[in-house]
Amino acid sequence: MATDKKYTTVSLPTPLFEKIQEKIKGTGFTSVSDYVTFVLREILTHGTDQEAFNAEDEKKVKDRLRSLGYLD
Amino acid sequence: MKVAVIGLDCAAPDVIFNKLKDDLPVLSNMTRNGVSGRLRSCDPPITVPAWMVMATGRSPGELGLYGFRSRVPDSYNQIKIPTSQDIKFDTVWEILGKRNKRSIIIAVPPSYPPKPIPGLMVTDFLTPGKDKEFTYPPGLKNEILRDFPDYNFDVKFRKPEKKQIIDEIYRMTDTRFQMAEKMIKEKEWDFFFMVEIGIDRIHHAFWRYIDESSHLYEDDKEMRDKFVSYFKMVDSHIGKMIEEFDDDTVVLVVSDHGAKAMKGAFAINQWLVKEGYLKLNGGIPKQGASLDDLDVDWAHSKAWAWGGYYARVFLNVKGREPEGIIKIENMRSELDALKEKIGSIRGPNGEGWKTRVFEPEEVYPVVKGDRSDLFVYLDDLNWRAAGTLGYDTDYLLENDTGPDDAVHDYDGIYIMYRKNKKIGKVIDSNIFRIAPTILELYRVRKMYGIQGKPLEGVDYVE
Repeated sequence: MATDKKYTTVSLPTPLFEKIQEKIKGTGFTSVSDYVTFVLREILTHGTDQEAFNAEDEKKVKDRLRSLGYLD
Repeated sequence: MKVAVIGLDCAAPDVIFNKLKDDLPVLSNMTRNGVSGRLRSCDPPITVPAWMVMATGRSPGELGLYGFRSRVPDSYNQIKIPTSQDIKFDTVWEILGKRNKRSIIIAVPPSYPPKPIPGLMVTDFLTPGKDKEFTYPPGLKNEILRDFPDYNFDVKFRKPEKKQIIDEIYRMTDTRFQMAEKMIKEKEWDFFFMVEIGIDRIHHAFWRYIDESSHLYEDDKEMRDKFVSYFKMVDSHIGKMIEEFDDDTVVLVVSDHGAKAMKGAFAINQWLVKEGYLKLNGGIPKQGASLDDLDVDWAHSKAWAWGGYYARVFLNVKGREPEGIIKIENMRSELDALKEKIGSIRGPNGEGWKTRVFEPEEVYPVVKGDRSDLFVYLDDLNWRAAGTLGYDTDYLLENDTGPDDAVHDYDGIYIMYRKNKKIGKVIDSNIFRIAPTILELYRVRKMYGIQGKPLEGVDYVE
């Protein structure tokens, strides 16, 4: 969905919105949108979309599987 | 209605329903009052793919998963370990997620790296380490490590320090159940699915203490007692979970495959060398070595194998393998000849074996991904296959890669139970029925192409 708009709207349940409003009082976040954007960015960059194993991980898992008898 | 699936990897019917039934009050009560039976696993009856067969209702052929490794195309022994990203079908929790149901998913293989789901996920024993992101959402990891700093994905059981291993497995399982119980109590959920891998490790490492028919049998009361107390701990945790569930929760205790005594390991590549199928520059080595470390003369080799609880045999086909020599038009006759030869392998004392040799197409209507040309269950899985070679004999009474007492068996278990329902039925079934059962209990009618039917006893718990 290509759009020229820089921002768009999503819906939040009102009680959740109010909870967030309460939570960000006195913090550096100036609005619920700011906070929600920050949290979602954090989640999306935290390895949910990455390559499954790097070379070192793959070796670790293979060694473990070998010692468990699955790669004889 | 909620469904809670408690997966006990490798739990065997003879152990749960027979040998230990008097030691396991919770599971025995569930069996007495629920619907239970043997649960035939998929082919091959191995952790990966079996749990994903349960979670997706798809066959290993559709999933394109045949074990803990897949071959990288255009290679002989370059392998890839399956991850959550290889699962191309929706799991039941993803289907339920589309209907606004929240799930707690713990350690269902393969689930690393964690995929976002509506709910919470902790990844399985194929997770490289605790330094990795092993939860969804990511913040859950900190919570787990704060409350359970000793949380472990797995243990290494193939070492001789038996007492130390059993204590490690005990602690790992105990901790995972405590974590699961805390999540059940404190988090919001509609569907719960956990897998405990410790039972499999206990069976492989300690089967010799409970099975008098095993050639490795040891009459050691202390070790047998430890084996039993491990199961009692699991049983009491399941009891605690049931206390937390309301009357509308259907509990499914399931296992992905069973276990039986290992009779030995058969050095299949060594046999292929002797039969002229596999050529090594320098011949068979003086001591056990992996094919990866040997100089294989591929230009004169017709076949090679991977070992494990079942053997995968590959033909060296021209145009398919890097140095293939069997012409595609000769594949059929070569396969038939090799099948017959493998099928007629006899035991160490000349006794007949009930070996099953088949092509994946014979058991799956759809065969995707990397698959071997032949699947081999040596002596009906009683013998495992050693991929290593360099022995005086092809028949190894101990395993080639560290102590192992048990092999996999076709039948696992299921117990379907709902508090305050007295049913008491025994109906044997199969692993393809678990996903449809879960969907049926949530009244999901759209089956997304899943072929299986719900467990026959599902009406009793509804």
